[in-house]
Amino acid sequence: MKLPVEGWPEAAGQGRVGMVRRVVLLALRDLRLEVRDRAGLLSILAFFAVMLFIMALALGPEEEPLRRAAPGVLWVALAFGSTLLSTRAFALEVEEGTLDDLLLAPGGKEWIYFGKLLFQMLLLLPLAALALLMAAGLFYLPLERLFPLFLTLVLGVLGYASVATFYAGLLARLRGREALLPLLLFSLVVPVVLASVRATTGLAEGLPLAEISDWWQLLLVFDVVYLSASALLFPVVMEG
Amino acid sequence: MLKVAQPDRPDALTWVFLGLGLLLLPVGLYLALSAPPDVNQGYLARIMYLHVPGAWLGYLAFFVTFLYSLLYLFRQDPRYDRVASASAEIGLVFMGLALVTGMLWARPTWGVYWTWEPRLTTTAILFAVYVGYFLLRGAIEDPELRQKAAAAVGILGFINVPISYMSVKWWRSLHQTQSIDLTTGKIHMDPAMLQALLFNLFVFTLLYLGFVRFRSLLAALEARKEEA
Repeated sequence: MKLPVEGWPEAAGQGRVGMVRRVVLLALRDLRLEVRDRAGLLSILAFFAVMLFIMALALGPEEEPLRRAAPGVLWVALAFGSTLLSTRAFALEVEEGTLDDLLLAPGGKEWIYFGKLLFQMLLLLPLAALALLMAAGLFYLPLERLFPLFLTLVLGVLGYASVATFYAGLLARLRGREALLPLLLFSLVVPVVLASVRATTGLAEGLPLAEISDWWQLLLVFDVVYLSASALLFPVVMEG
Repeated sequence: MLKVAQPDRPDALTWVFLGLGLLLLPVGLYLALSAPPDVNQGYLARIMYLHVPGAWLGYLAFFVTFLYSLLYLFRQDPRYDRVASASAEIGLVFMGLALVTGMLWARPTWGVYWTWEPRLTTTAILFAVYVGYFLLRGAIEDPELRQKAAAAVGILGFINVPISYMSVKWWRSLHQTQSIDLTTGKIHMDPAMLQALLFNLFVFTLLYLGFVRFRSLLAALEARKEEA
């Protein structure tokens, strides 16, 4: 699907506002395509459910080991799910041959990265919230501190998606990207997964928030560093 | 590191690094073997003379890869990419050496070859990042895209080093896991041991410099042959 032409902000002269509008437009277009298609969304949701079921089956049925494993299982499931999603973000673009159109738009190329990232976040956050509920149900993960848990989800998912989106764009035109992407990605985002799991574990164990905020700070550092590095590198690797 | 655009054979500096490195390697070995045994670990501590230079050169090599990847992205000159990939390759070898010697040391000391200690884990992850680097290089046919993608991985991968090192510190301070102190040997180090270690570090660095220059030259010759 082409981007709507009317209301398409011209790059020249509109500066930051134009870029933000482009980012939002791109994300909303992708979101609309994804929701209209449904198949991809449902398959990722089914993937979460099946993965959590299998892990619960493998680790159960006693309550204690399940609860202890819950944060790890949740974040591994989210990591795999996010990989599936990030390949989708650029796969359609390549299939339809619209990636070059996007790159041909005048001005910088960062907005493509941010648009795709926003799209990922818009899809991943509800999915992650659902996965959290599923993990709570299947793994006895306590949900009393819902807001701190959700904050951890946002920070962790953002760190993950920032690198995933970058690599997905880099590998978009490649055959065999489905195998290569997780390989490159997982080794890089281990710190994010580690910090997220630790924060979630702390919340489940009922540690004071002051102790958990250390992990949040760490996640914030990851997010900022990965996000800025990816945004800086993205235009350079996509051109040409 | 290679200033000449189209060299035919290694230049004098490459030979100096390689020759001096190879010549001094037996001296370093002699120093390592004649150094006094450690009070606690006895002769086992001598594996350190291989282990520490291996790890040091792994980090140095990945740092050079990072630097030349950045240079490549700015200048788009394939020469920088060749140095970056040569350095990553050699870094992988030295890092592997550090991992293997570390495991050989850990078995008699800790009783296991591998434990999920933060330092070990982050090193293994770093190793995996650069394995991915070469898998990516192998997967892309188009030379320009390959160089760009590799440079991106070389930069992003290296960013991981300081961050994961920091996360290790935070991890420890939060949970007070009984950290296995890797630095005991360093703090109470006998001057003779320190001298031997520093000498070995120096020799290995010479070898690294020679290897990188040599490998970059080989890559340049390969590239020329492909073009022809």
